[in-house]
Amino acid sequence: MKRYLRLLALFWSTSVAQEMEYRLNFLLALLSSLGSAAGGLFGLSLFYRAGHALSGWTYPEAVAVLGVFTLLQAFSRALLFPNLNRIVDHVQYGTLDFILLKPVDSQFWISLRILSPWALPDALMGSLLLMWATWQLKRSFLSLMGALPAILAGILILYGLWFFLASLTIWFVKIYNVTYVLQSFLEAGRFPIGAYPALFRWFFTFVLPVAFLTTVPARQVVGRTAGHVGSLVMAWGLGLLLFAGSRMFWRFALRFYTSASS
Amino acid sequence: MAVIETRNLTKIYRVARKAPGWLGSLRHFFRREVQDIVAVRDLTFTIEGGEVVGFLGPNGAGKTTTLKMLTGLIHPTSGEVRVAGFSPWKRETAFLRNISLVMGQKQQLIWDLPALDSLRINAVVYGLEETTFRHRVAELSELLEIQHILNQPVRKLSLGERMKAELLAALLHFPRILFLDEPTLGLDVNAQAAIRQFLRAYNERYGATMILTSHYMADISALCERVILIHQGTVWYDGPLSGLLEKFAPYREIRVEFHQPIARENLQRFGEVERVEGRRAHLIVRRKDVTDVVAQMLRNFPVMDLTIQDPPIEEIIRRVFALPGHSPVP
Amino acid sequence: MKRWIRTLRTFLGVYYAYMLEYRSEIYLWALAGVFPFILMGVWIRAAESGHFGWEPVRFARYFFAVYLTRQLTVVWVIYEFEETVLKGTLSFYLLQPVPVVLRFLSSHLSERLARLPFMLALTLFFFLLYPRAFWIPDPRHILSFLILVTLAFGLRFLIQYTLSMLAFWTERAASVDEFFFLAYLFLSGMIAPLDVFPEGLRRFLMWTPFPYMLYTPARALMGGTVPWNQVLPVIALWGLFFWGLYRILWTRGLRHYSGMGA
Repeated sequence: MKRYLRLLALFWSTSVAQEMEYRLNFLLALLSSLGSAAGGLFGLSLFYRAGHALSGWTYPEAVAVLGVFTLLQAFSRALLFPNLNRIVDHVQYGTLDFILLKPVDSQFWISLRILSPWALPDALMGSLLLMWATWQLKRSFLSLMGALPAILAGILILYGLWFFLASLTIWFVKIYNVTYVLQSFLEAGRFPIGAYPALFRWFFTFVLPVAFLTTVPARQVVGRTAGHVGSLVMAWGLGLLLFAGSRMFWRFALRFYTSASS
Repeated sequence: MAVIETRNLTKIYRVARKAPGWLGSLRHFFRREVQDIVAVRDLTFTIEGGEVVGFLGPNGAGKTTTLKMLTGLIHPTSGEVRVAGFSPWKRETAFLRNISLVMGQKQQLIWDLPALDSLRINAVVYGLEETTFRHRVAELSELLEIQHILNQPVRKLSLGERMKAELLAALLHFPRILFLDEPTLGLDVNAQAAIRQFLRAYNERYGATMILTSHYMADISALCERVILIHQGTVWYDGPLSGLLEKFAPYREIRVEFHQPIARENLQRFGEVERVEGRRAHLIVRRKDVTDVVAQMLRNFPVMDLTIQDPPIEEIIRRVFALPGHSPVP
Repeated sequence: MKRWIRTLRTFLGVYYAYMLEYRSEIYLWALAGVFPFILMGVWIRAAESGHFGWEPVRFARYFFAVYLTRQLTVVWVIYEFEETVLKGTLSFYLLQPVPVVLRFLSSHLSERLARLPFMLALTLFFFLLYPRAFWIPDPRHILSFLILVTLAFGLRFLIQYTLSMLAFWTERAASVDEFFFLAYLFLSGMIAPLDVFPEGLRRFLMWTPFPYMLYTPARALMGGTVPWNQVLPVIALWGLFFWGLYRILWTRGLRHYSGMGA
């Protein structure tokens, strides 16, 4: 355990050091994060200026959803994108061999090797949106902290889904872009789930559980807690299930990797 | 004591066969046609601790497949394999701490950072204490003569320096068994020689077992007392290198440069003339005749320069397998 | 002239065969373009409130048309160009007696052809799921749509190709386009028809190139009247502007490129 923590510290410090060589990226990431937040707010305002409340939520409440969405985006930029999207390269260039021969859990290595510092602006922007929402709603900052378990569950779910799709490249190198499909569907998390028609709600709850990613944590933030415990338990159940599934799937997938290479 | 033991080690790949075009894809979808490709068949050998063994064979002979089965990257289809007392494919931590794999075409060092950073990660991976780590880096980098480059970003190193740093990274945990897949590929002659020298020293100093594949005869002849020739997935020869050369390549190549052009006809009595270009000629001569031929040439022709070398391994192997009547060692 | 047609035909044929090899990848990209459908869901639900003057079916048709337009005008030349410069392949292309841009155009056009089966399947699927939205556009509207889509593609391609020229000076040319894409995402009608934008903003946007890349073609397919006497001059002006910029950057860029000894 201690060895893994030390390893993680080294992984992340080296990858941050490596990225620091390209300092202009920080400015670009900051601007892009500002731009997409402005666009997201503008998109929401189109509904509210005409007097339509998405799913009956007030504007600050909808902003809280956008805040959680931005936080999860920061998480995918920081870890999922730089690590999992490289599995295909490891397979193609055979560098997976090196990882498999290390006396370290290979899924740990594959998933956490790199931490991209350029996700920082998104993380800040997400927190800012959430703070603005709680302030507008006259909620205490404690309610923000209360949303942490739900956000963590969302992170687990997101990781499980992303990892599953990314490890498919062990069989099919050509579908390296399948995680972009996932990402584009996750855009649905910009709005509270109640803002969608029934069919969409069903799809984004049971097929692709976007509802658990953003709406459930946002409910805690804005204080719409009726029936919240139930959905929190479901989110954690789903998250743990997907995480355990990803462990099993990785072991299963490796059997095919090792037999495919020559 | 045997460090590596294999018995009837076999690997069969199942490959899908599909006609081109989307119609082919469609047919393939409903009725999957598969084909079995035997990469390695009934490989049996034993390697003792401290031995340096070269795997030889043409491309696609099954060398890399064997190497990957020994390291545990590939699960054998049938047969037995024990490495350092472990079943490699289980990839147990204790096993992994005992081995290392170096691949000439692949690199594990982080491209944009100094090699030392990558080494630090490996130190934690293999659970080395800080003092042990510093000690080993000092020792190995001195042997490799790369103390001065460990602080430079890997991308700024030359190919030879990079390979040395890769070796350092692979040996940091002092593996008892070292697998090397084409470790000198693409390096210039000096760098090749330096790597060879290092590997030899490492073997002598620490008694590590080494298994090596290479395209360069010089690698094999400088390092391996024993070679295993693999062809079509089976062992064709297992024994000392000199025996292999006598058995399969009783030839050497002589390259001469004369003061003036010499006609092909005049050279033919010495051996097989491979090429004549102006004042230069290449001859293939039986190993036992070499001294004789050289002496005669020097006497009869105005020789300016003359070199004797082993034909490249690919060339030897081509000759071996072009000859009829050769079959695997029973 | 005949020679050009032959060259173009050969290029298209070869690139089409190449694209067919990457069908699975292309289909996934096409699937990753679901963003308009997600917004369709929110807007259908919002339209039920009657705040927006459009019926739900109208929103459905609009976003479907946006999806089609987007699929037909996807451009990625900047990534291709960047790679060509970084890898030095550009030097080969420059030595050939064919304009360099022809290759990129061919790859884009033939990719569209490879994408077509997927678009048809998705269209079928959509109307099966939501038969109320089905309509057969007037042939005149289809004609306007095709003309406008061609212009939209041309403009989008020209703008991105102009930005690609930055690859001569920086390795991060693509991130400049990402900013352009952010503006495109929020201002071109992707997130909502311009009809629900604030009046002043809409009037301003009609002077920018953005609405002409999605909104105008989509509205044309729905049967809206096309203000040609505004559309054509604005597109022509922006086209001229970027064409001029492209010529300047191309000449200077080439000088810089050869100066680097590539």
